[in-house]
Amino acid sequence: MGKMKIKAKEKDGVVKVKAMFKSLMADTEEAEKKKIEAEYITYILGTVGEKVVFEATTSGFMAENPLVKFSFTGAKKGDELAFALTDNHGKTVTDKKKIK
Amino acid sequence: MERRKFLNLGLVAAAAVLAPMTNLHAVNFRETKPDAWKAEKSADAIKAMFGDGELKTTDKIKFVAPKLAENGGSIPITLSTDLDIETIALFQDANPRAATVVFSVPEGQKVDYSFRIKMRQTAVVTIVAKAKDGTLYTLAKEIDVSIGGCGG
Repeated sequence: MGKMKIKAKEKDGVVKVKAMFKSLMADTEEAEKKKIEAEYITYILGTVGEKVVFEATTSGFMAENPLVKFSFTGAKKGDELAFALTDNHGKTVTDKKKIK
Repeated sequence: MERRKFLNLGLVAAAAVLAPMTNLHAVNFRETKPDAWKAEKSADAIKAMFGDGELKTTDKIKFVAPKLAENGGSIPITLSTDLDIETIALFQDANPRAATVVFSVPEGQKVDYSFRIKMRQTAVVTIVAKAKDGTLYTLAKEIDVSIGGCGG
């Protein structure tokens, strides 16, 4: 698990977000077949400041490099959207991006 | 200041600091509902996740998915609704375990999610959404998969 790409754009008070998280999303069975270690994201948390705007608990049956699109209200241009990912090994990766 | 009053003040301050923290990390369903992630069948997973409540079929939730998925490794799904939803989850019967993703909708936000899932064979995909008032909504769709995902 590693990098993520975040795009966030505000228009008329609604922030549209496209985010891609790099991960193999390989659950036990798939990992066995490919002879790799199981690795998938289990928890995604998106925040703006102190406020949670996106929260998902995922399993290895999301597609590889999960691309998530969503929108939320209550943020403005220049605010920072931060994502925190947790994988099945308990590793956490964070990244943030300014809302355009 | 009396000692008792001083201690009380400290408690109030601590609670005020802690309150936004707990709000920030709402629910990690893998920790709170571990059984739901091990269930093989959608029905069992739904029961473990949402309890025994009655499931109401609805058409108020928009669930967009291809009828025939050419690539089972990446099936685009879109979920959106105007209902006041607290939690929305996706289950499928194609993979070794049914639970795929659970979104906790933050306070005041609407459901509008697009993402992709993997399915190794043709199966029924079930969406279950829990409204703020506790009602459980459900809808299901069969997706034909021509080439399996999940390395199959």
